[in-house]
Amino acid sequence: MSSFVWRRAAAVSRKEVFHILRDPYTLGAALVLPVFMVIMFGVAIEFNVKNVALAVCDSDQTQSSRRLLDTFGSSEYFLIHRVVSPHEAVTDVSAERARAALIIPPRFEKDLFAGRAAEVQMLVDGSDNSTVGPVLGYVGSIQSIASQRIAGFERPAPYELRTRFLFNPELNSRWFVIPGLTVVVMSILSILLTALTVAREWENGSMELLLSTPVEPLEIVVGKLSPYGVLGVIAVTFVYVIARTVFGIPFAGNIAVFGLGCLLFLVTYLAQGLLISVMTRKQTIAMQLAMMSGMLPSNLLSGFIFPIESMPKFFQYFTMILPARWFMRIARDTFLEGSSFFELGGSFLALSIFCVLMILVATRRFKRDLEP
Amino acid sequence: MNRTLIGFIKKELTQTLRDPRMRVLLFVMPVIQLTLFGVAISNEVKNIRLAAVFDSRDTVLRDIYERSIAGTWFIPAKSEEQDPYTMIEAGDADAVLVPPPGGFTRALGRGDAQLQLLVNATNVLQAQSVEGYLQNIIQQTIKDDLNMTPPDLPIQIDTRVLFNPDLKTSVFMVPGVMSMLMIISTMVMANIAIVREKEMGTFEMLISAPVSRSEVIYGKTIPYILLGMSNLPLILAVAVFAFQVPMRGSLLILFASALAFVCTTVAMGTLVSTYCRNQQQATLAGFLFIFPMIMFSGMMFPLENMPTVLRWISYFDPLAHFLGLLRNIMLKGGERTYVITHIVYLAVLAIATVIASFRRFHTTLE
Repeated sequence: MSSFVWRRAAAVSRKEVFHILRDPYTLGAALVLPVFMVIMFGVAIEFNVKNVALAVCDSDQTQSSRRLLDTFGSSEYFLIHRVVSPHEAVTDVSAERARAALIIPPRFEKDLFAGRAAEVQMLVDGSDNSTVGPVLGYVGSIQSIASQRIAGFERPAPYELRTRFLFNPELNSRWFVIPGLTVVVMSILSILLTALTVAREWENGSMELLLSTPVEPLEIVVGKLSPYGVLGVIAVTFVYVIARTVFGIPFAGNIAVFGLGCLLFLVTYLAQGLLISVMTRKQTIAMQLAMMSGMLPSNLLSGFIFPIESMPKFFQYFTMILPARWFMRIARDTFLEGSSFFELGGSFLALSIFCVLMILVATRRFKRDLEP
Repeated sequence: MNRTLIGFIKKELTQTLRDPRMRVLLFVMPVIQLTLFGVAISNEVKNIRLAAVFDSRDTVLRDIYERSIAGTWFIPAKSEEQDPYTMIEAGDADAVLVPPPGGFTRALGRGDAQLQLLVNATNVLQAQSVEGYLQNIIQQTIKDDLNMTPPDLPIQIDTRVLFNPDLKTSVFMVPGVMSMLMIISTMVMANIAIVREKEMGTFEMLISAPVSRSEVIYGKTIPYILLGMSNLPLILAVAVFAFQVPMRGSLLILFASALAFVCTTVAMGTLVSTYCRNQQQATLAGFLFIFPMIMFSGMMFPLENMPTVLRWISYFDPLAHFLGLLRNIMLKGGERTYVITHIVYLAVLAIATVIASFRRFHTTLE
């Protein structure tokens, strides 16, 4: 057996580059997808809910009740539309015409002037997770503002809570989401494309052909994967540049640390893609498996949107075997917190272990499968 | 239905289901995934590491801290650091309460108490909830410790959460994950089924065979509609029995909307397949469609906040309609006008995509 020769690996990768270039559609999609995703996410995402449709049934129709409605309406949180009966208000909520309903009883002003507690009812739609939490939060602040405006009531404040939001002082949703997108974008490109490209060679039978040439298996692997690695790097660069220039997201950390994380993650996922393709040898199954083991977890279990700390204990440990979880930490912390390499030592260690492990398993499997 | 078509459908189903691994992927994986994601994912705030800097005489702050730790939201932060900012920066704590010099309790007595809260706002959603939640605890503790009962506000808002009073996350999330699983299995599968034949060169054979064009199209789509629909009872059972997501509406209507949804996604898959030459392209194209669909469905991000132009896009998103229908039918029992409107939307989308894909298909066949 001859040893690894770079020239042969380079030849394989040149062939793969031709293959990619010949198919401008794939290349385009691979490069447009990340750009498209970052811009979409950047423009569309706002967690601070505004303009929640509120159905109001004002049975009181007095100056006080109108001022209460003003308080709701002028808060920017709610978009008010009036309905005639409490029943209609509830129907509006179940027909998704309103996310919440406010019902003001006929004796509202009378109670207020008589010094009794003037009670109104607020019904919040519990079927939509993205609005119910914020709406419940707004109600409390509107209550005290309305009490002050309408009844001139000042609650004595014995203390003042001053909150400093570190690393994202304006609570900008984009700062939270876009650094995490690098992980999602890379996981799509690397794992999926490699799983498919190598599986295709098996499916077409051209893998046998390749193997009967004097090229070593390891050279084939390196040669076939490196163009996709480059593609992944280009995609991340795109995401990074757009994040910095278009959306003005700060990058507090060291770019080399972030880059190292990217590379480790990329190589891990490329190896995982290879492993999948060797195991399945069929594009349809390779794709499904790549989605299940790479895409969905990196979207849903990496802490991208849904925090890991909120998961049950078992899953908190389970996510530790996902490379995406560690890279998510590296990406976020280098962007926003400016963490140094040593602060992220644990994540880097975990990622390196997975990287080495994945390469070993994948090449092992690959070599073994070649023997008849 | 004629015999050729039935034969065609049978062939397509056999071809897909022949591989035992494919059977597992299609029928077992969705159930596992739904269970997995249903259990694991939530927006709840839990296990936030809280630290407070206080000495033994600062009883109020100690009580605030102990009360916070007693709930499910916070766990104590362990840190050797003394400086609150460094604690957060080093990743030892997520939130730190810092009293004014001399302690919070004494400052309260003086009447100018300022309590500082440092929060790691890397996760925007959590940071906001943490502030609100601590605010409540602080108020309560001060009230109890100092026996101060501030008068009630003159206006009382009695808030009730409808349809999911306990705010159980699984009730929100499970319908979302259900619809996501269905779109992946239908759209991508239908797309790839056609592209695979193209790639293998068997598509020419199919065209030269004595089958009509519409038979090819029906034969290539109906099996995937059937497969997609066969997934629904499975994941619905998991949702209802394992996660106790209520099923308040009619099963029949739910199936009708699922059928409209699956027809749309399969037709979209077919439409996309006419533009693709190999499976790699098909998969990528599938993602180009599925990602925005998930985004504009309102599952992860509130639609209310998007710019109006982008919200229009959600009208063309079958996933948005289907998720809305699933939630409305399962949680609210299905309000008639809403259900009808959105099934009609889905049907229009289905018909439009079916027509478009027929057209494209015919031109590619020639």
